Amino acid sequence: MQIQYKKKRNLLQNLLLIEMAQGMWLTLRRLFTKPITLQYPHEMPKVQRGFRGQHALVRDPETSTTKCIGCMKCAMVCPSRCIRIRIHKEPGHGNRRFIDEYHIDALRCVYCGYCAEVCPVNAIILTEVFAYSAKTRQELNFDMPQLLGNWDSYLAGQGELLKEYANPTWRPRGLPEGPMPVGKRLPVSDEWKGKDQVVGRLWRQSVQEQNR
Amino acid sequence: MQVLLLLFYIVILFTVVMLHVAYATYFERKIIGHMQVRMGPMEVGWHGLLQPIADGIKSFFKEDIIPENADALGFRLAPVVSLTAMVGALAVLPFAPGWVLADIDIGLLFIFAMSGLASYGVILAGWASNSKYSFLGGLRSMAQVISYEIAMGLSLVGVMLLSGSLNLSTIVEAQGGSFGGMYIFPQIIAFGVFFVAMLAETNRVPFDLPEAETELVSGYSTEYSGMRYAIFFMAEYVGMMVMSALGAICFFGGWSGPFAVPLFPALWLVLKIYAFMFVFIWIRATMPRYRYDQLMELGWKWLIPLALANIVITAVCKALF
Repeated sequence: MQIQYKKKRNLLQNLLLIEMAQGMWLTLRRLFTKPITLQYPHEMPKVQRGFRGQHALVRDPETSTTKCIGCMKCAMVCPSRCIRIRIHKEPGHGNRRFIDEYHIDALRCVYCGYCAEVCPVNAIILTEVFAYSAKTRQELNFDMPQLLGNWDSYLAGQGELLKEYANPTWRPRGLPEGPMPVGKRLPVSDEWKGKDQVVGRLWRQSVQEQNR
Repeated sequence: MQVLLLLFYIVILFTVVMLHVAYATYFERKIIGHMQVRMGPMEVGWHGLLQPIADGIKSFFKEDIIPENADALGFRLAPVVSLTAMVGALAVLPFAPGWVLADIDIGLLFIFAMSGLASYGVILAGWASNSKYSFLGGLRSMAQVISYEIAMGLSLVGVMLLSGSLNLSTIVEAQGGSFGGMYIFPQIIAFGVFFVAMLAETNRVPFDLPEAETELVSGYSTEYSGMRYAIFFMAEYVGMMVMSALGAICFFGGWSGPFAVPLFPALWLVLKIYAFMFVFIWIRATMPRYRYDQLMELGWKWLIPLALANIVITAVCKALF
């Protein structure tokens, strides 16, 4: 890296306070530019798909309950350990696990999205809802009905069907499709798959190095 | 009858100036906001136009807190001293021919005295608050005032020499009402010194060391809240206006402008004051704060010698031509 130093000023420039004039000229120009402020309660920001906001458990339209299979991967991968799941097995159902409780403590969550990434059946999701608050801690310790309700209200707001829905937190860009669980192989647009799925200088560099 | 009329004028002037102070804060927040690509106040009224009123009401009804270990008398007195001195300086400003409350022959000296007295309020606040931040703010204010009062007084000596008077109305008349007659041209060095000293006198950026919010919390006004804090604020803005008016009167021809305005002859002076205020705010949006030793160095090593040299040059020129 090369550091570009400013040229040394001569006596005349020092006396005429050139640098100060430059600074003043900059602020004066900025006075006539358009502010970038978003007047938040009146104007809402446009949140992109893949933003990691409020938690939800996807409601399966067939069983009308969660798709969760109780594999505990999310609870294990969670860096802040805010997911708590209790399961039981029933005789006659083999190894199938039944979910008793599913808690996410939103106040401990760090919104890393690992749980959604690791879930083999795409049961958990971080929605784009960012404005949710409560007056007690209890209310933000989501249990299963609340999490399912979060999903219902989110999907209703999106105006989409679950069949067509895809979220980048479920299927992160840059992962090969082969080793993925079946549930993660979502019908996504081409730019998520193949060569163009990754944007970024580092990735392109690594590909070039591998080809060499 | 004469006394009543004078009282009436005083009330009018005070009200107008206080309204200006309120809207100067709005002006400042808007301009700084837009210079930083923000918007400034937007919520109260159309584009936040009622914000200063809301702020005034809020600070008026706020709880008045005096710290337990503070010197209660000094603590109460300090903001009043600041504001009274600054408002007192308004009395000698000639806004138009004849529009002056006290047309005294030592107008310039009176303004120096009053702006010097106003910083006693700051020093007193720093001392009486009994808090280390306030105390440091007060000390800095003291040192700053001592250094820059001299430079400021000396810079205006050139103007006194040229006009031969300390009466502000006479100074304006001596400039002759024409563009070329303005003292900014013969006294450009003095104006530079005056401008820097003016910033320092009013504790504005880049010389806001007494309240340096990044290092001293809020300097001398750390312990103040509610109306007392608002009074300090008013004193600062009235000070800015007085200094702007002084600059406009001594260097930019006061009330005289390109043509006479029939009903409101003070228009040109008011516009010049607004321009000065804009520059105050513009500088605040641009400049970082001086370090303490740099402040002293600038004052003693540059401004005072420059002002002295200017006096000598002016006096020699005046004697020769």
